[in-house]
Amino acid sequence: MSNRAERLKLNLIRTDWDAIKLHSNRIALLPAVLTALLTCAVPAFAQSATPAPENAPLDVAQLFATTCGWCHSDGGRAAGKGPQLMDSQRSDDFLRDRIKTGKQGAMPAFDQAFSDAQIDDIVKYIRALKPR
Amino acid sequence: MKKQPKRLATSVALAIGVTLAGSSAFAQSVDTARIDAGGQNDWLTYHGSYKSYHYSPLAQINPSNVANLGVAWIHIPGRSTRGLQSMPLVADGVLYYTGSYSRVFALNGATGEVIWSYFPELDDALIARQTHSPYNRGVAIGEGKVYVGTMDGRLIALDMKSGKLLWDTKLIDSQKLTVGFTGAPLYAKGTVVIGAQGGEWPGRGPIFGVDPTTGKKKWEFLTVAGTDDATKTWGNDSWRTGGGGGWMPGTYDSETGTIWWGTANPAPLYDWSGGDYKTQGARPGDNLYTSSVIGLDVDTGKLKFYHQELPHDAWDFDSAVGEFVMLDRDGQKLVVHPNKSGYIFVYDRSANVKNVWRITENSNFVKNIDPKTGELIGRRDFAAGKVSEPLCPHISGGVSFNAGSYNPKTGLYYKLGQEWCMTLEVLKTTPVVAPQAQLNIGADFKIAPPPSGEIYGHLDARDPVTGAKKWEVRFPEPPLASVLSTGGNLVFVPDSRGTIHAYDAESGTELWNHSDGTGHQGGIVSYAVNGKQYIAVTAGFGGMASDDYAPTFGGVYKSMPRDDGALIVYSLK
Repeated sequence: MSNRAERLKLNLIRTDWDAIKLHSNRIALLPAVLTALLTCAVPAFAQSATPAPENAPLDVAQLFATTCGWCHSDGGRAAGKGPQLMDSQRSDDFLRDRIKTGKQGAMPAFDQAFSDAQIDDIVKYIRALKPR
Repeated sequence: MKKQPKRLATSVALAIGVTLAGSSAFAQSVDTARIDAGGQNDWLTYHGSYKSYHYSPLAQINPSNVANLGVAWIHIPGRSTRGLQSMPLVADGVLYYTGSYSRVFALNGATGEVIWSYFPELDDALIARQTHSPYNRGVAIGEGKVYVGTMDGRLIALDMKSGKLLWDTKLIDSQKLTVGFTGAPLYAKGTVVIGAQGGEWPGRGPIFGVDPTTGKKKWEFLTVAGTDDATKTWGNDSWRTGGGGGWMPGTYDSETGTIWWGTANPAPLYDWSGGDYKTQGARPGDNLYTSSVIGLDVDTGKLKFYHQELPHDAWDFDSAVGEFVMLDRDGQKLVVHPNKSGYIFVYDRSANVKNVWRITENSNFVKNIDPKTGELIGRRDFAAGKVSEPLCPHISGGVSFNAGSYNPKTGLYYKLGQEWCMTLEVLKTTPVVAPQAQLNIGADFKIAPPPSGEIYGHLDARDPVTGAKKWEVRFPEPPLASVLSTGGNLVFVPDSRGTIHAYDAESGTELWNHSDGTGHQGGIVSYAVNGKQYIAVTAGFGGMASDDYAPTFGGVYKSMPRDDGALIVYSLK
């Protein structure tokens, strides 16, 4: 945590922000971090701006509204560009593999984005989906 | 004005070429003056010419003989993942177009014979992680080269005659930012311009100007907080993950040396600010220069003027449609630009609003847009939670990214409108930028029929300045492809089911149709080789809008491939 904060502070003094450098994995956190540092509200920062550590549980409902939901409509409850996930007849192994490796032209691969434990969280979310 | 003698010379050369009906015998380099003039037999830039008419003056195919139109030749590009979306270009009898994965082909325009092809080696692992991929929307030509962008962030130049690689410039770190290039580049006045994908990805949506000789970057304009003034329109430093981009090619005003470009929306797509979007939500403020039209100096990339069509766009109705229809009317030089929402903006040549009209029937993201000022009236800014009344139009837009057509002979603008809506629940999200940027939507949503009844699409023939409608043709599912009109008094519409239709440009009467075997969502052009007129259209379905068709409409879409496509070229039998 403290190392991360140090790195973030270092990033704050960089002046060469541009699109190419925006990829730095800390940069997107900066708005919230900046606010947090300026107000010395470190606990608030820890709650609101720290991403889940690699193996921490994911907020999968938020993840669907962020990334997955363009194709898996209504949070995965309805068919859209991608199939309906609620009541899926596919096995857990199939779902895990599809999330990891994707399907050409239909589903991106998320092997780099999520750990195995996080992908398990996504499968759990899918299994728990109920109509709204 | 300095260019006038050159333009005149080009026009004379073209006139001779037309008279002798042997354009290939008069092959000449493609330069700015020639693209500006538009020519008779060619299609030299994405929008036809810098006037962006998507119009061919050729009149050999006309209402008296269009019934005899038949397939002259077909080209199969292969590996058409998510169909074909390319706008073919034609110069001196040679047709240049792209397939998915930026595969480039140069074909004999009369026979379809492959002259050369170029398949770039791409970062397959990256492309497997992308969502808006791997389609490509075409090339630019100029100074003896063919230019194409790639999904992994490069701009490539090929020798126009041989297809030999001349340079390959990496412009974006797509491995981190996820976005690359799907849109065609624009060549103008010694600069190749290309805009990055963006909108829903947390980035800053750059547009690049590149030297056509060396491949070196000349300039870069950031559509998110590209100036100090713009940075102030992003509260809480939200510009760092603001989205933006310019994913479709714009055009060039040669009189002022200005690149006109339309920019993408901010991220997240849907904000939870509620009514006070200036101080609340994910990205407080107007979010310049997203969902805007911008004028950039072609030499330096400096911003000359802009108009933000949707300040603080909270609906993903961006301005990235690259059509800038340049008109001279009653002594006024005007520019007509469709916004994705279905509102059509009419500007002077410095992007001052002259009129705004709407092509869609179903629209409720605002009550209206002031036709005098362009100001949004009665905007709907959502708070987090379920949105009670469906949002119209649907996220796929009131108009497609594909182009309409302006016909100077009829004075009408032929443009497709789309009638569909969506239910949504807005959710607070956090941008994900590591290890690789991910989409940032901000809502769960689902397609829904409009209040007027079923989903449908319509081809309208309208006055481009006033919006006055002369006729309309309806389609059971919104057509997504580009439209072509010709000097032969015809309008061609390639529809989503896979049928290409020809209508009388004055009356809208259908005169001919033919099945291309799969849905259309790309370009259509007309050109002539050795005195014979051809119509070239890309067929091949799949992608962000068309992937909704199978679950929404069923029928023919259930079995329609989303990994196949062809270029189909018609001529008189």
